[in-house]
Amino acid sequence: MSTNNIIRSLRALRVLVLHPRDNQAEELLRQISRIGCRGAAIWPPPEKLPDEGDVVFVEVKETISKDIRRLFDVDRSHRPTVIGVVAYENPSVLQGLLDLEVDAVVTVPLRPFGVLSSMVIARRVSQEFKVADRTLGKLKRKFDSVHKISQAKFILMKLHGLSEEEAYGTIRSQAMAKRTTMADIAQAIINADGILGSTAARRKPERLKLTVTGD
Amino acid sequence: MAEQTALRVGVLFSQTGATAIIERSQLNGALLAIDEINQGGGVNGRRLEPVILDPGSVPIRYGEMAEQLLSEDGVTVIFGCYMSSARKEVLPVVERRNAMFFYPTLYEGFEYSPNVIYGGAAPNQNSVPLASYLMELYGNRFYFVGSDYIYPRESNRVMRNIVRQGRGTVVGERYVSLDGTPEDFDAVIADIKRQKPDVIFSTVVGTGTVHFYQAYLRHGGDAAKVPIASLTTNEAEVEAMGPEAAAGHITAAPYFRTIASDANRRFLDGYRRMFGSITTVTSCCEAVYFQVHMFADAVRRIGSTDTDRLRAALMSAEYDAPQGRVWVDPENHHTFLHSRIARVDEAGEFVIQREMPRPVKPDPYLAYPALNDWSLRLLNPDPDTDPLGSRLEHVVHVNQQHH
Repeated sequence: MSTNNIIRSLRALRVLVLHPRDNQAEELLRQISRIGCRGAAIWPPPEKLPDEGDVVFVEVKETISKDIRRLFDVDRSHRPTVIGVVAYENPSVLQGLLDLEVDAVVTVPLRPFGVLSSMVIARRVSQEFKVADRTLGKLKRKFDSVHKISQAKFILMKLHGLSEEEAYGTIRSQAMAKRTTMADIAQAIINADGILGSTAARRKPERLKLTVTGD
Repeated sequence: MAEQTALRVGVLFSQTGATAIIERSQLNGALLAIDEINQGGGVNGRRLEPVILDPGSVPIRYGEMAEQLLSEDGVTVIFGCYMSSARKEVLPVVERRNAMFFYPTLYEGFEYSPNVIYGGAAPNQNSVPLASYLMELYGNRFYFVGSDYIYPRESNRVMRNIVRQGRGTVVGERYVSLDGTPEDFDAVIADIKRQKPDVIFSTVVGTGTVHFYQAYLRHGGDAAKVPIASLTTNEAEVEAMGPEAAAGHITAAPYFRTIASDANRRFLDGYRRMFGSITTVTSCCEAVYFQVHMFADAVRRIGSTDTDRLRAALMSAEYDAPQGRVWVDPENHHTFLHSRIARVDEAGEFVIQREMPRPVKPDPYLAYPALNDWSLRLLNPDPDTDPLGSRLEHVVHVNQQHH
């Protein structure tokens, strides 16, 4: 999402305030509504976060209760944007901010000025994290698949004396015939090799050569 | 009755420097209201006494003088500021000392402070109606000219979004320093001639306004074909530039001198009596005038100037201002204001072309105003000449928040 859209879509955000009902929470809710977002206060902490929270302001104290910790201990793709509300800046509170992995911070006593900037920055940070997580997951899967394919290729080359292109072509045509991915076929080859005990990769090259020619 | 001590209020408008024309007009608005209040017996028997300082149009001086007013002059209420950059200097001072600050000037929005009451228009109260009017009558190729500080740049961002919604384009954008000379505008007008816009949107403020309009006339600009439209150009500046340079150009504001109402007649009569003529009456002058009255009314009701109690009292403050009835929006401390568009006639007087039937709710945090917002459509003041008049009026009423 472009950063321009963060500002444009601000007013569509649904905002939850997870904070004891006091003046600070009230002032925060009023500023959220001035900004033009729908805001709701929740206290005490619920069993799970309502689905409609895009942004959650949460009180962060020197100890974070299990109830609160559990709410945010979810897969990042399901995590709302989290903004910590702090009254102190001592190391315990700072550790709490890190443990909860907040995207931004507002301080109390709350000044209305600054809430909007925190929301905008928090949205950017959490969106970037989500995009980075997705990219990282994609790259990891890609890397695993490339790694498996090259392992399987190696097995085929050694066992059947195929060239690299031939080994690759064999895996690819198998994947197409079985309507599956090359990574799946590669995994099957690696598994079979493991079961048959002729593990090419684990053996020393000299020994390996003997096995292959012995067949 | 024993003579009670006067109730001192800070008045912080520049009488010298780049924005002196408009700020002197605001100072007069404050002095007129204070005089009326004192003529009527003061506030709970106490005379209002203005403590007037001149920051010389230098933003940092506003902060320093606000500090001085609060710490040395025993003031807890300040009326003042025109430029946003000046307001930003005063803001932390009044917040730290929990004073009440009345800001009687249109600005770019995106601010709220528990210590400020905003009496001028937010963009949703003036930019949207103006853009819609200009695109309807003149076309959608816009050229932006502004003074180089925060208000013009943010106003132009808002206007650019509205223009794009109307499938229009911004064909040029230039900024001139606040102390720009007549020659600085020659280059701008040369570029305007090259780009051939349908309309020029000006956020030039202060003395630059006079230079700009005069330069436009000098270079053969034709207001009937390509007008300069503004949110700030006012009666005092028209007076300074002369009717020839001003004629045909357009301004959107909550107040114009030509409004026909008893409240406005009383206001103008009072102004004329006190200052000799009404040539310098502007919408920002009217804003400070009604804010001083709102303040006095609130103090009368609570019998105190304690900031926290005053703030609470102001949340339900309303006043029959020269522009019509106005009231403070307790959600955001801005003011429900009227929205009007006027064109300068040959004699240099603003003639109202369109107006809202009811005050518009301020929405200072509106990042992307919608051009097609029916609640912001304006009416021709004479419904007989507007074929859509009755239908629009119905829609407008439905969409308005009732007080």
